[in-house]
Amino acid sequence: MSVAADADGVGKVNAAFTDFAQKYDLPAGVRRSFNVALDELLANVLSHGMPGAGAGSLTFEVEPDKERLTVTLIDDGPPFDPFSEAAPDITLSVEDRAIGGLGIHLVRKLMDEVSYERRDGRNVVVLKKDLGEGN
Amino acid sequence: MEISTRTSNDIHIVGIVGSLDSTTAPAAQKALEPVLASAKNVALDFTQLDYISSAGLRVLLGAAKHLRASGGTLRMFGLNQSVREVFEISGFSAILSVYPSEAEAVAAK
Repeated sequence: MSVAADADGVGKVNAAFTDFAQKYDLPAGVRRSFNVALDELLANVLSHGMPGAGAGSLTFEVEPDKERLTVTLIDDGPPFDPFSEAAPDITLSVEDRAIGGLGIHLVRKLMDEVSYERRDGRNVVVLKKDLGEGN
Repeated sequence: MEISTRTSNDIHIVGIVGSLDSTTAPAAQKALEPVLASAKNVALDFTQLDYISSAGLRVLLGAAKHLRASGGTLRMFGLNQSVREVFEISGFSAILSVYPSEAEAVAAK
């Protein structure tokens, strides 16, 4: 599916993903991990991405498979590799804690495989997670 | 996302139903403001929280800092496996007070 790259689009992609998860009877843990990852990446695209309101679009593809789920996010914003940011210091106290970088750290840890490439003037992010037991 | 509040043993309990993500965090933040302004000890009921992303964690961190600065406490209980995993990955399980049940959250000093 393709949606406009705006705040509304984030909710739409997550709602579409939740529908898909119900249809394919995905384990709740896998579905929730993708809900979190999609929220982080789409919020990131919005904050880094789009030059003008309503200018961009996001494409979202899901490949169901017995063993693993692959979700591809494509946007036509300026080049931006979300996985190039350093991991945050998660050992700091409540008072010293800043939140920057935490979202992408979550995506990396919740997924089994993540990748980024710039292809044909678009950002392509691929997320993969095994559907094994314990998820 | 829906929010409800009740009081038990002088502790304000705020129940969050649905998800805490970039779409719902602003509304959650707004709903928490009056509670944080008046309550000293707050417990968040996550029994019906589906998932939380960093936008939701940001709201929790703000609430924890606010209550700590005013000598109060923030506790939470009822985390599902996914929310617990996000807490562990982010290090939040080490800096926030998480309890298995409402009874334990309310009884904690």
